[in-house]
Amino acid sequence: MSEDDEDQSPATDLRSQPPCSPNKSRNCISSSQTFPDHVLENVLENVLQFLDSRCDRNAASLVCKLWWKVEGLTRSEVFIGNCYALSPARLTQRFKRVRSLLLKGKPRFADFNLMPADWGANFAPWVSTMAKAYPWLEKVDLKRMFVTDDDLALLAESFPGFKELILVCCEGFGTSGIAVVANKCRKLKVLDLIESDVTDDEVDWVSCFPEDVTCLESLAFDCVEAPINFKALEGLVGRSPLLRKLRLNRFVSLEEVHRLLLLGAPQLTSLGTGSFSRGDQSQQEPPDYAAAFRACKSVVCLSGFRELMPEYLPAILPVCANLTSLNFSYANISPDMFKPIIHNCHKLQIFWALDSICDEGLQAVAATCKELRELRIFPFDPREDTEGPVSELGLQAISEGCRKLESLLYFCQHMTNAALIAMSHNCPELTVFRLCIMGRLRPDHVTGKAMDEGFGAIVKNCKKLTRLAVSGLLTDQAFRYMGEYGKLIRTLSVAFAGDSDMALRHVLEGCPRLQKLEIRDSPFGDVALRSGMHRYYNMRFVWMSACRLTMGCCKDVARAMPNLVVEVIGSDDDDVNRDYVETLYMYRSLDGPRKDAPQFVTIL
Amino acid sequence: MEKGGVEHEITELRLGLPGRDVTEKMMKKRGFTEMIMTSSGSNSDESGVVSGGDVEKINESPAAKSEVVGWPPVCSYRRKNNCKEAWTTKVGLGYVKVSMDGVPYLRKIDLGSSQDYDDLAFALDKLFGVRGIGVALKDGDNCEYVTIYEDKDGDWMLAGDVPWGMFIESCKRLRIMKRSDATGFGLQPRGVDE
Repeated sequence: MSEDDEDQSPATDLRSQPPCSPNKSRNCISSSQTFPDHVLENVLENVLQFLDSRCDRNAASLVCKLWWKVEGLTRSEVFIGNCYALSPARLTQRFKRVRSLLLKGKPRFADFNLMPADWGANFAPWVSTMAKAYPWLEKVDLKRMFVTDDDLALLAESFPGFKELILVCCEGFGTSGIAVVANKCRKLKVLDLIESDVTDDEVDWVSCFPEDVTCLESLAFDCVEAPINFKALEGLVGRSPLLRKLRLNRFVSLEEVHRLLLLGAPQLTSLGTGSFSRGDQSQQEPPDYAAAFRACKSVVCLSGFRELMPEYLPAILPVCANLTSLNFSYANISPDMFKPIIHNCHKLQIFWALDSICDEGLQAVAATCKELRELRIFPFDPREDTEGPVSELGLQAISEGCRKLESLLYFCQHMTNAALIAMSHNCPELTVFRLCIMGRLRPDHVTGKAMDEGFGAIVKNCKKLTRLAVSGLLTDQAFRYMGEYGKLIRTLSVAFAGDSDMALRHVLEGCPRLQKLEIRDSPFGDVALRSGMHRYYNMRFVWMSACRLTMGCCKDVARAMPNLVVEVIGSDDDDVNRDYVETLYMYRSLDGPRKDAPQFVTIL
Repeated sequence: MEKGGVEHEITELRLGLPGRDVTEKMMKKRGFTEMIMTSSGSNSDESGVVSGGDVEKINESPAAKSEVVGWPPVCSYRRKNNCKEAWTTKVGLGYVKVSMDGVPYLRKIDLGSSQDYDDLAFALDKLFGVRGIGVALKDGDNCEYVTIYEDKDGDWMLAGDVPWGMFIESCKRLRIMKRSDATGFGLQPRGVDE
């Protein structure tokens, strides 16, 4: 399943210069100490190697110049939350021995077509710089980046020890690029393509893996919209003794999955089925699918179920009791089909589904899944004015049954404050709360009031809340609550909410940990934007689209904050003097404005 | 939690269609976001073109509610794979594969988002980053490339001969070839009968 966009610690604080004060006596290391510097460096290196958390490493690097330098030598995994926050050259200058890079590109609202294609986030400059600087690079994990086949080819050629490639929500490449990676990365352990747009270049990439035993541990290609050579896949699975995670695409039929499972099932811990329907409706008896699943003694994570034929769903019953993670979110499953399955899933911790399971299905989840930590309910029919099979009833049931809930994403048509208040009391472990009431500006459908009190209760009672997405009818009062109680909030998503600039001011003034702010279609203007200037250098980004910002104010902010890149997206050439700003995307950067901005982006 | 006169006001306003007047104010601001909504709803750049003719004037009636770009916020990957649109309808979306001689990768283009051959020509130009493919559709002689397509019967035909409507219904895939390789397609200099 795709990772949620959550960090446990603030983004890498890559300052341009280390702190200067080698002479202050309170620093433990100074030039006048008894040991030669290089001995101390060695000692420090050996100690700092054990620091894993980037939060700790950022802190260590600020102690003094020596620690800065040594930390830079010993950091092997680098996280970059915004690829435009710094240049690739700066990365390679500071960190000399990187083995693993996590890099994020486009802002999340790009997923919703709020940004034109070709905005940027190109992987090319990163791979070309790293090709020279990090010959021992092992892992690359990209999210929302534009990656070309040439980039993948360069990667495959440049890093002989390359082990893990993870591409989440990426685009720009095709099966030909995948083929090169499969072929040249002989130590490849992980090839995970998740929710990415992969072009079908009509290349048999599965056959490109080397013919001897592979090191593969995880292979996920459910997003690849191209038929694959099943025989080659069978062969690959047969010679991959370390394979634990396998996520197939919808071009692999149920019969083929059946064969694969009988071949390699005992080792698999995570399985993404392909199509869950029979290809040819031949006269033969269908294979015993349940037997195949019974062989999956170690499977704890199940996903896939595309093109589901409901009569085959009971085949998974043998594995239900072991499941900790179940993803039905691409399957239209009715409550009647669903209940017999979920009834067995006592250990379930992560559950994703479509709202087709209805409130009734959610009640069944609440009754059985007492260990549930994460729940995501997606809309089968993502439009505003439909009936909506899930509502506050389902949410209420979940809050009562699943007390350990930590993360929620819930799409619905109707909600009540009462249900949110109940959840805020019943589920104190909530760190992520994302509710999408699909009808814009919709109030509590029982009382007719705004949803202020419900969200207010969530921010007040869920003391560990770090991520919040709000919806429905919300006044400035809701934001007052957020500013007052949301002290740990790092990510906030707002759409069609609030009455005035005060709402945004409450948040910018009240939420000290805010890192990522994304707002659309809300009446926040210049006053609100200016009120946050004391915060923007401490944030990863701010996105505001279809609000009430003027060009003049954005220019003022850009002028006042030279290390902030202020992008205005979407101004027509004709309207270069137009004052209204359609989309503002701004972020801190150590290396100034980017050079690859397309024509529709104006950097102020 | 505070209660105040504001609440009462809110319920008064909202007894009818929720947020109608607020919605109208917000509708005015949606010029660009409406424009970028291509007919495929996809955020991939493979179709390439937003035809000028497709830009819709902002409709201020409540019916426009369902046309807001990116709302509800279901990511484009999930929308594409939503089982409601069974994979068979991908054909209906008008996506065809396009190959170009000398280019190792296939691209896909949404025929449904072009209005006529000129549009398609422009889209193909953008797709491959080459000038002058488009011209080949109409003026066979004047450039290096010709565009051919495979029709429903599996035959390869020269693009541009049949009316547009007939073309998009029968076109299964496109290929852009060098003119010099395209013998046998009945390409003749102007003025010569076939």
